[in-house]
Amino acid sequence: MTAVHAHDLHKRYGDRTAVDGVSLTVAEGEVLGILGRNGAGKTTTVEMIAGLRRPDSGTVEILGLDPWRDRRRVRQLLGVQLQESELHAALTVAELVRLYRTFYARPADTAELIEAVGLTGHRDVRFERLSGGQQQRLSIALALIGRPRVVILDELTTGLDPEARRHIWAIVERLRDDGVTVLLVSHLMEEVERLCDQVALLDGGRVVAQDSPAGLVETAGLGQRVRFRVGDGGAPALARAALDDLPEVGEVQVRRDQVTVTGAGDLLGAVSTALVRAGVVATETRLEHATLDDAFLALTGHTLSTDRTDHDLHGADR
Amino acid sequence: MSTTASPSDLADVPAYRPGLRSLATLVAAEARMVARDTAGLVVPIALPMLFLVMNGLGSSTEPLPDAGGMSAFDIYVLPLILVIGVATIGVINMPSFLAYYRKSGVLRRLGVTPASPVMILLAQLIVSVIQTALGVGLAVGVAVLGFDANLPSRPGLAIGVFALAAAAMYAVGMLVAAIAPTANAAVAIGLGTFFLLGAVGGMFGPTTNLPDGVAQVGELLPFGAAVGALGTTWLGRTPEPTHLLALAGAVVICGLLSARLFRWE
Repeated sequence: MTAVHAHDLHKRYGDRTAVDGVSLTVAEGEVLGILGRNGAGKTTTVEMIAGLRRPDSGTVEILGLDPWRDRRRVRQLLGVQLQESELHAALTVAELVRLYRTFYARPADTAELIEAVGLTGHRDVRFERLSGGQQQRLSIALALIGRPRVVILDELTTGLDPEARRHIWAIVERLRDDGVTVLLVSHLMEEVERLCDQVALLDGGRVVAQDSPAGLVETAGLGQRVRFRVGDGGAPALARAALDDLPEVGEVQVRRDQVTVTGAGDLLGAVSTALVRAGVVATETRLEHATLDDAFLALTGHTLSTDRTDHDLHGADR
Repeated sequence: MSTTASPSDLADVPAYRPGLRSLATLVAAEARMVARDTAGLVVPIALPMLFLVMNGLGSSTEPLPDAGGMSAFDIYVLPLILVIGVATIGVINMPSFLAYYRKSGVLRRLGVTPASPVMILLAQLIVSVIQTALGVGLAVGVAVLGFDANLPSRPGLAIGVFALAAAAMYAVGMLVAAIAPTANAAVAIGLGTFFLLGAVGGMFGPTTNLPDGVAQVGELLPFGAAVGALGTTWLGRTPEPTHLLALAGAVVICGLLSARLFRWE
């Protein structure tokens, strides 16, 4: 069954087009990542899916229900964590959880839920005194309190330190294991690669591509790469001859004693076998996978974040 | 990984609407918010007390002629203090909470739950009414015990008129909440409105000291109309229709305007 179906969503703010014909389909139990730069239309898209913002045109169905017409049912089935949304500042963790519990027909247990997001030690701390990561975890807890079948999480780890981030990723992994459908908005490659079954790349208000993380890398024509060195003399030519006709191999590049082979499938296995057969001794053999980062660059024409660090640049260069 | 669900699975999803239990929990939550906002508690309790003590020490408790045994303190000061109490809560405090809830995204967050954001407005209103009742009870208690004040001879009428005055103040407050972009702006606009209405409505001395035109307008605005109407009930008389109409008009006009202008985000 389709958990989320968005068809041809459009949204304009004044003369700026935020979302320009987005269609998304998420199967039940699937984790879909929506990846894009700031201003790509990610938040507007999920706000329309969540029934917070009316699309100018297009339709949304959550488990077959319209979020506006069947609002009351959809609100019981859909949990939403909004970007930068505060809660009652002077209420404690336990008070907020108990308050939101009363909104749902079949709520989760207060203590269990607080435990699940690791806030048991902070249950009597006011929202305003929690750290950013703790506030975020509480926010996720409240999105899960009605035992939703579909959860929308918008930028759930933005601004958090790596440890807090991993803690929250573990929560999402548990949701995935429980078969909950998750729509995850992110601009972090690592997050999407780790958590998502499917990724939709959003750019300029459009879906540029939707596939599994590995599928996107393949679509972008960025398969795997095997690099190795061979001895001088005739070895590079021998290697080329041995590899050129393999079905797994796309292209062979030789620069002096260094050979780079790009291709798909069990590339490393095929290359190794062929080299052994041809009697070529390869050293320093390395298998390199293109990343989602590389795919994003290839599919959209620009890098994901605008403020890239040296580390990211190096990473994208792999 | 993907689980299949037949459409009949959805049939047992209740179109559940949060009810009185939710509202009660929300009222308790709002009460905690108000009680923990120490600064916000000072004005509605301290200001009426300040006026009570200053006026109580200065004005005469001698019965006035033709006033059924009531003194100037009973007829002028007590109504004024009750109106100050309800106006500070309705016009300054409540809007600041609502503007904060909108600005910070609390209303938006509630909008994606089965609860309607209208519930939070209702809960704030209930808490404000409770707060007003406590503040007024305290002020009247101190006035009676400390300054020999008399209670109105027709308490039912007085309570009815006070309820109308309170509704007018909350309507003004809702309008402030509707137009204020932030909590700070709400406090600023609320305070400004409160002092303006108070100044032309007799908060800083008898309206006879004001220019005629200003006094006449002030009497038709919620503060002046409330003080006038409430004072009459202390005499056991029915308030002037102009005062009651002015209050009802404020409820209707400000109520409609705020419903029109209120933004949830």
